[in-house]
Amino acid sequence: MLDWDIVACNSEFIIQNLSFVNEMASRLYAWLDSRLNLKPVQRTLLDEPIPGGASWIYVFGSATLFLFVLQATTGMFLAIYYAPTPDHAYDSVRFIETEITFGWFVRGLHHWGASAMVVAIGLHMLQTFLYGAYKSPREVMWMVGVVLFLIVMTFAFTGYLLPWDQTAYWATQVGINMVGTVPLVGDLFSRVLRGGETLGALTLSRFFAIHVLFLPAILIGGIALHLFILRRVGPAGPWTDDRASLSSETFAPRQVYMDAVVIAGVFLVVATLAFAIPLPLTDRADPSDTSFVPVPEWYFLFYYELLKYVHGPLEPLATWILPLLIVLIMMCWPFIDRNQVRNPIRRPVALGSGLLFLSIVFGLLGISIKDLYAVPRTDPAVARGKAVYAQFGCAGCHRIHGEGGAVAPDLSTVGDVRPDRAWHLKHFRDPQATSPGSFMPKFPLTDQQLNDLTSYMLSLKRAT
Amino acid sequence: MTEAELPTGGFSTPVGSRRTFFHWITAAAAVFVGIGLAIPMVGSLISPAFVRRRRDWVDVGAVDELFPGHPTQLDHVTTIRDGWMETKAQKAVWAVKQPQGDVKVFSPICTHLGCGYRWDDAEKKFLCPCHGSSYDVDGRVLGGPAPRPLDLLPAKVENGRLLVLYKEFKSGLPRSVEL
Ligand code: FES
Repeated sequence: MLDWDIVACNSEFIIQNLSFVNEMASRLYAWLDSRLNLKPVQRTLLDEPIPGGASWIYVFGSATLFLFVLQATTGMFLAIYYAPTPDHAYDSVRFIETEITFGWFVRGLHHWGASAMVVAIGLHMLQTFLYGAYKSPREVMWMVGVVLFLIVMTFAFTGYLLPWDQTAYWATQVGINMVGTVPLVGDLFSRVLRGGETLGALTLSRFFAIHVLFLPAILIGGIALHLFILRRVGPAGPWTDDRASLSSETFAPRQVYMDAVVIAGVFLVVATLAFAIPLPLTDRADPSDTSFVPVPEWYFLFYYELLKYVHGPLEPLATWILPLLIVLIMMCWPFIDRNQVRNPIRRPVALGSGLLFLSIVFGLLGISIKDLYAVPRTDPAVARGKAVYAQFGCAGCHRIHGEGGAVAPDLSTVGDVRPDRAWHLKHFRDPQATSPGSFMPKFPLTDQQLNDLTSYMLSLKRAT
Repeated sequence: MTEAELPTGGFSTPVGSRRTFFHWITAAAAVFVGIGLAIPMVGSLISPAFVRRRRDWVDVGAVDELFPGHPTQLDHVTTIRDGWMETKAQKAVWAVKQPQGDVKVFSPICTHLGCGYRWDDAEKKFLCPCHGSSYDVDGRVLGGPAPRPLDLLPAKVENGRLLVLYKEFKSGLPRSVEL
């Protein structure tokens, strides 16, 4: 039974304590203020007028900034354990993932935080575009913003290699080779990126250094510039000037409150994803296994899909001309769209071209995702076979993707090596019949188990 | 709020309990995110400090090869786990078979300042070259600056093999304190 007196008592106690903390904080603030004259600083930071008042539509910039801070902090904590060399990177990530308390969670936050950041920037840019907020006098702010977006994509690209598993290795291989297709400078660029002609130790350490030292420094400078310009020109506000002039509100407390609520929501989503969806490493990077087909992160997928449609002499068009063109158009957009009006309804051309661009990107993304999920649907028999494999302790002798004993043959790619179903069925009934001299015992399997186990064996192929 | 503190310029700024509400929600969001980050990150940071090094019984040799009262240095290879790395290290221990057949195993490190000592068969003493500590065949201090007897390692005999749990101890203390 609940004792309501105690509950009431406790809540009173908590409220008292909270107001005590509040009291102490304001005293500390008063003390510091009397020495450092903080009030004007506070006014500059928090009393910035927002034309048209605070709005839930203005939260994306803050959400992006929060996600950057989240990436920076989780990244610092991951760096405590990470070793950027080919002989240790994979093991150190697996160590973080399996042995460090909360290590998997911090890595999950960093992984999903990156995705969330791409989404937040996308929404931020979309809102800026819709509201025509890139127009005079905010052209420079837009351009800095585009640079920030490109830096974030570079973060994603360099970070992808760091776990040094098969996906990471081959995706980076593809990315660097694309740089190599640029005429004249391409070869030099890709060599500089790799630190030589092969993707290896020098590539990993320079990607690491770029990811944790160079890019953060540049990004912080860019964010500072972006915000500096914002404070010089002020936020754009609603697209109709009369509505903007109708009312104005300070940044604190209502916009701060909206930003805070959204930030807490974003954190909740990222934390839930980190908690609920494990991020398995694929096999350790193996430069000799050229059959591995990597899949990039979802935000590069549309581009990956595009590359499938262009071949031969047209290839450079997709690998560098088009991306370069798009970046240039994005950069110069405020000067291309000379229309003074900000109201989206009265900017059909701008809106139409934006919509066209987005539908192409999302169309490609959609096709790509559909293709990806169409192929590796796991057969239920495979899942049952896997259970049989576990039940009979096959992993005691056999190894699959680095797990299990090394006494008997490694089965990681047995589906490629022995695609013959009948052979497996015969082999499981009586191992000596197909492999004379094998010390594998006969297992008492039912026909159903035999079939399932064989399905599982046949599904063990090189990742596609 | 006094008149002078009110923001000027005619902005519509929430006042009173509405303002307090925004403050509290903002603070609550900050606390939620702060705690949500602090616990896992600090947890991941400090957790290795609480992991005791895992030790395994290692086979150091056959018991038959030991003679009662005659200390023998036994080399063996142990696996040391250091974070995500596993390295093999050569370790030596001193084993002394007792008349009853059980075996005393000494850590090979002098209790004074950590030098390696050896058995002098002529003098029937363990002698440390560094500062001249000496011990008898049971590890008791006979002379020199050694503050305590030689450190004993857990040992057992199984199927004629001598198994030892290798440990290290702090030097210079009157009592054995495991590292
Ligand atoms: S270390 Fe052995 S006597 Fe000093």
